[in-house]
Amino acid sequence: MGTRRKAGWGACRGERGRRQPFGGSVPFVPTVRGTGAASGWGLRHTQVVTGAGCEMWECHGAPRGDGRRGSPGRGAGVVPFVALLLLQRRPVAGRALLVNGPGCPGNSLCRANVHEQTRKQVALLNATAQDLFSLYLKCQGEPFSSESDKLCSPSGIFFPAFHVNRTSEKKEVMVAMYKLFAFLNASLGNITRDQEELNPTAKELLDRLHNTTKTTRGLISNLTCLLCKNYNVFQVDVSYGESSKGKSTFKKKQQGCQVLRKYVQVIAQAARTLLPHLSPV
Amino acid sequence: MEKKKSLSITGILSSMFSGWNWVARCLYLFWNICSLEVSGGLVQSCGHIIPESPVLALGSNFTALCILNESCLDFGNIYANQIIWKIKNRVVPKEQYREINRTVSSVTFNDTSSLATPLTCNVLADGQIEQNIYGITVTLGLPPEKPKNLSCIVHQLSKLTYPMTCTWNPGRHTFLDTHFKLKYRWPRENFPDCIPKDANNSCTISDVQFFVNLEVWVEVANALGKNESDRLVFDPIEIVKPLSPHNLSVNSGILPTVLKLSWENRISTAVMKLKFNIRYRIINETNWMQVPSEDTASPRTSFSVQGLRPYTEYVFSIRCMKEDGVGYWSDWSEEKTGVTTEDKPSKGPSVWRIIDASSPASWTVHLMWKALEPFEANGVILRYEVTVRAKPPPFHPPLKYNVNTTSLTLKLPNRTYEVTVIAHNRVGASPPSVLLIPTSNSKAPVKNIRTLPKDGKLWVGWTAPNGNVLKYVIEWCLLSNSSDCIMEWQNEPGNIQGTYLKGDIKPFKCYLITVYPLYADGQGSGQSVKAYLQQDRPSKGPTVQTKKVGKAEAVLTWNHLTVDEQNGFIRSYTIFYKTIDGNETAVSVDPSKTEYTLSSLTSDTLYTVRMMAYTDEGGRSGPDFTFTTQKFGRGEIEAIVVPVCLAFLLIVLLGVLFCFNKRDLIKKHIWPNVPDPSKSNIAQWSPQVPAKHNFNSKDQMYPEGSFTDVSVVEIEADDKKSFSEQDLKPFDLLKKEKSTSEGHSSGIGGSSCMSSPRQSVSDSDEGETTQNTSSTVQYSTVVLNGYRDQTPVQVFSRSESTQPLLDSEERSEDHGGGSDSTTQRQQYFKQNCGQDENTDRPCFEIAKQIIPANEEDLAGFAQLQISGQSSEPLGLGLEKSTQEAALSDVLQTSTEGQTVRYETVEGNPPSVDEMPKSYLPQTVRQGGYMPQ
Repeated sequence: MGTRRKAGWGACRGERGRRQPFGGSVPFVPTVRGTGAASGWGLRHTQVVTGAGCEMWECHGAPRGDGRRGSPGRGAGVVPFVALLLLQRRPVAGRALLVNGPGCPGNSLCRANVHEQTRKQVALLNATAQDLFSLYLKCQGEPFSSESDKLCSPSGIFFPAFHVNRTSEKKEVMVAMYKLFAFLNASLGNITRDQEELNPTAKELLDRLHNTTKTTRGLISNLTCLLCKNYNVFQVDVSYGESSKGKSTFKKKQQGCQVLRKYVQVIAQAARTLLPHLSPV
Repeated sequence: MEKKKSLSITGILSSMFSGWNWVARCLYLFWNICSLEVSGGLVQSCGHIIPESPVLALGSNFTALCILNESCLDFGNIYANQIIWKIKNRVVPKEQYREINRTVSSVTFNDTSSLATPLTCNVLADGQIEQNIYGITVTLGLPPEKPKNLSCIVHQLSKLTYPMTCTWNPGRHTFLDTHFKLKYRWPRENFPDCIPKDANNSCTISDVQFFVNLEVWVEVANALGKNESDRLVFDPIEIVKPLSPHNLSVNSGILPTVLKLSWENRISTAVMKLKFNIRYRIINETNWMQVPSEDTASPRTSFSVQGLRPYTEYVFSIRCMKEDGVGYWSDWSEEKTGVTTEDKPSKGPSVWRIIDASSPASWTVHLMWKALEPFEANGVILRYEVTVRAKPPPFHPPLKYNVNTTSLTLKLPNRTYEVTVIAHNRVGASPPSVLLIPTSNSKAPVKNIRTLPKDGKLWVGWTAPNGNVLKYVIEWCLLSNSSDCIMEWQNEPGNIQGTYLKGDIKPFKCYLITVYPLYADGQGSGQSVKAYLQQDRPSKGPTVQTKKVGKAEAVLTWNHLTVDEQNGFIRSYTIFYKTIDGNETAVSVDPSKTEYTLSSLTSDTLYTVRMMAYTDEGGRSGPDFTFTTQKFGRGEIEAIVVPVCLAFLLIVLLGVLFCFNKRDLIKKHIWPNVPDPSKSNIAQWSPQVPAKHNFNSKDQMYPEGSFTDVSVVEIEADDKKSFSEQDLKPFDLLKKEKSTSEGHSSGIGGSSCMSSPRQSVSDSDEGETTQNTSSTVQYSTVVLNGYRDQTPVQVFSRSESTQPLLDSEERSEDHGGGSDSTTQRQQYFKQNCGQDENTDRPCFEIAKQIIPANEEDLAGFAQLQISGQSSEPLGLGLEKSTQEAALSDVLQTSTEGQTVRYETVEGNPPSVDEMPKSYLPQTVRQGGYMPQ
């Protein structure tokens, strides 16, 4: 899973639990330096670590060492913007920088079809989530393939709240989805990294993980476009899960299993929620 | 460059010693060169050019500056006004120079197209020696154009792999190192550029993400600038060329006209909803049919194709694209086949018959029907049910037959019948096919039957007769010499007036086509026409030959080409004939003829004739034939020969008549009667004369006084003039003949005087036997003035000759003393033969060979021949005159006889020298005695 290096910059502001509600037009303050200004398009993961210190790491410049660097889809997949780490066992919180200055980035690309694209991305994730989870269980071997209900119960892990429904405001839905997929993007990056280590020959699983990750990445790009262009939201606080780094193999597998199981549940809800809201504005 | 600098320094140093003589400076220069080459980089240039190695746009203007170092000014007395600019080895015109100051000179080019590399700055040291100061390399090129026509396509390689390839038009060639970059980005992300490999007009991004708008453009740059294409913004899902559906399967449906197709899509519905195209065709056919696109415009993985033929094998293929039609169609999938289930036959087989009505009371009806086409049979035909009903129906039930073949031969009474044929397969029976066989084809036939080759098939048209025709039957067969006419046929509905023959119609073959109209209550007689699908030149030409050749005309005959050789309708024949050195003449002949008379030919001339047969497509020539016209026309020879013969005969006849009238005279001159010595008084004088012979008979035959005119020949030598030469000539010839070949035809008188001694000896040899029967005759000597033109030399008073008497004379006397000339000739020849030493044949045989000749001709010929030989004293029979040759044709038999005689003569040619040796009296004294 590419190179991983410590960013070595900035305090883990998230550890202070600094959260800001989505302020529609509130000028946001960059919470993480370098966000959005990273050289190239390398992705920066926010990793939750269990250690006492705040450890920042960059996932990789290229998603894999297979020469696919540069692809906007495959590879990386983890959003390039803000990544804050919390040193505590608690989930990391951060404020995502949507834009770096006045106006929306790539305004010409934020077209009317972004709504439809977003809906299709969510639908695509929803359509593939269960297969991904099943394949993940299958590739982890026992006891995960037989005891998935007990081992993969997501009750003990952090997962962004997704308390929106069809009646919620569009902006609220968009923000919630942004938080959700920012979390998923980072978590899928971690899971992919772990599986490349644990099951390097599980090609299909790895392919699915990569595709799901890059889809969430594209989804975040579209949500950024929607939030910025339609709702003037330039900053969103996001929370990330715990890092699996340093954990045992079992724990890594279990954590991935828990995240994916929750992902299956939430993505279905998101797809249902998003359907009436993703009509062209 | 280092070398250039070295040379420049050398020049400067040498200029320092301008006062030296030229040789010294050269030596010094050489020394400096050597020393500086060794010292290498220690030297410095006396100037440089700005800009250094520029890259220039073609067609632009350019100015270069040559700046001299100050140190060199004082040291070498080199100033800017001494600078010479050169392109390669060509000096730049001074008009383009400009002296900016004493150390700087510029050169300006209004169009860099005239530039070449290197551009050098030089000086004339001491105004004579050109030294190089500096040089630069100039690179010419063009700035990059804006890339155009940028387009991208996403090829699906697998279920999750979607590389995107973008292509563009790179624009003109820049002559410079030009770099293209395909750039793309998301709203908030830029991705690494895609650098083309081994191309400047395309680049492939390994993977793209759908449902995110992507901005794509091309940047191009070289030393003269950079440019970029228009930017494309699209969602990659809109430019996908998906993989075709796979695992296509075809299953038979419940209905015999339905097949169900199933497949798997290789792109998720969540990614892309697909629409499809399904195409299918009957196996072994090439034309595809397609399911209406609106029926397959929604995502699916199966489809039931309807409206198919029962029991038919179909080939299916499918492709897909994005449901909304944005993007590209996939390739067609692999082909799969499926077979529909059986159904009962949709129609009955076409039925026809051939009737053999050789027997007046009954028919042999050969029923035949065509096997149903697969789309009509709808399955495997198991049997045919044939029902024959007589009309009006008799008391017995109709005849029914179940057969597996497509023909049935029946022997039926001569009546009207209705034949019904039904085909059965596993599912059911076909509708019945009915054929009415009437007692006679009394209905109206079709008219104006015609054919037309069209689209590689043979079309037959006709004018329908008046009446309600149920259907038509078209029969046809291939006409050939090598095979029988095998009949083929087809049914056509009654509402048409033309159809294509459904069969293997071959080009260049003649077909006999017959059309029968079938009515509900009868049948019309067939009308036929011959036709070719395609004509060609005949495969060979007619073989012409002469039937009769005349002086100026020739009758040519030939046989028609066989139908296999014609290759088309023979439209005409052309006869080409020519002499060996003349121009060829062509004559067109009607194709129905097999004989033609060439006229106005030249007599006795060799002609070459050939014949070409023409179809609509051309002609082919037959072999050459040569003949020679006759020299004479019909009757010409007869017109010449007959008069000649008649004239000849007339002359002969006249001659014979003349001779007959003058026979006494002739006889007197040619065959004078020789007195019988036995009756001579002289004989009585001789004491040695044996008086034993009885000549009584002779006494009776030749009574005293009857030979008076003959035996006494007293001719005055001067009287020979009283005979004409013509009269004398044959006479002399005959005499000479007698003297050479016969010699002793008689014994007494003038004739005896002609006998040669040798012949006499010969005769005496033969005469030994003769002497036994005849007494020795003592001849009296006749003293005359000379016999005719012979000069009398001596007079014999008495002869002691012992020559015997001639048998002929004796025989003729024995036979009654007939003096017939024919008899005499026979004797003459016999004697002649008897003297032939070279022949073994008896004289009698030879004589017999001569006898069959026309006596008159023979006589005349003998006379003519004698006449012809008159001028040849010896061997006159060896040469043939022209007249003899002509006559030999007429008198061939006689000629042969003569030939024998010639040989005989040749065998004993009497010599002239021998003539005086004759002991017989050669002359007679005038006033010889008269026989007593």
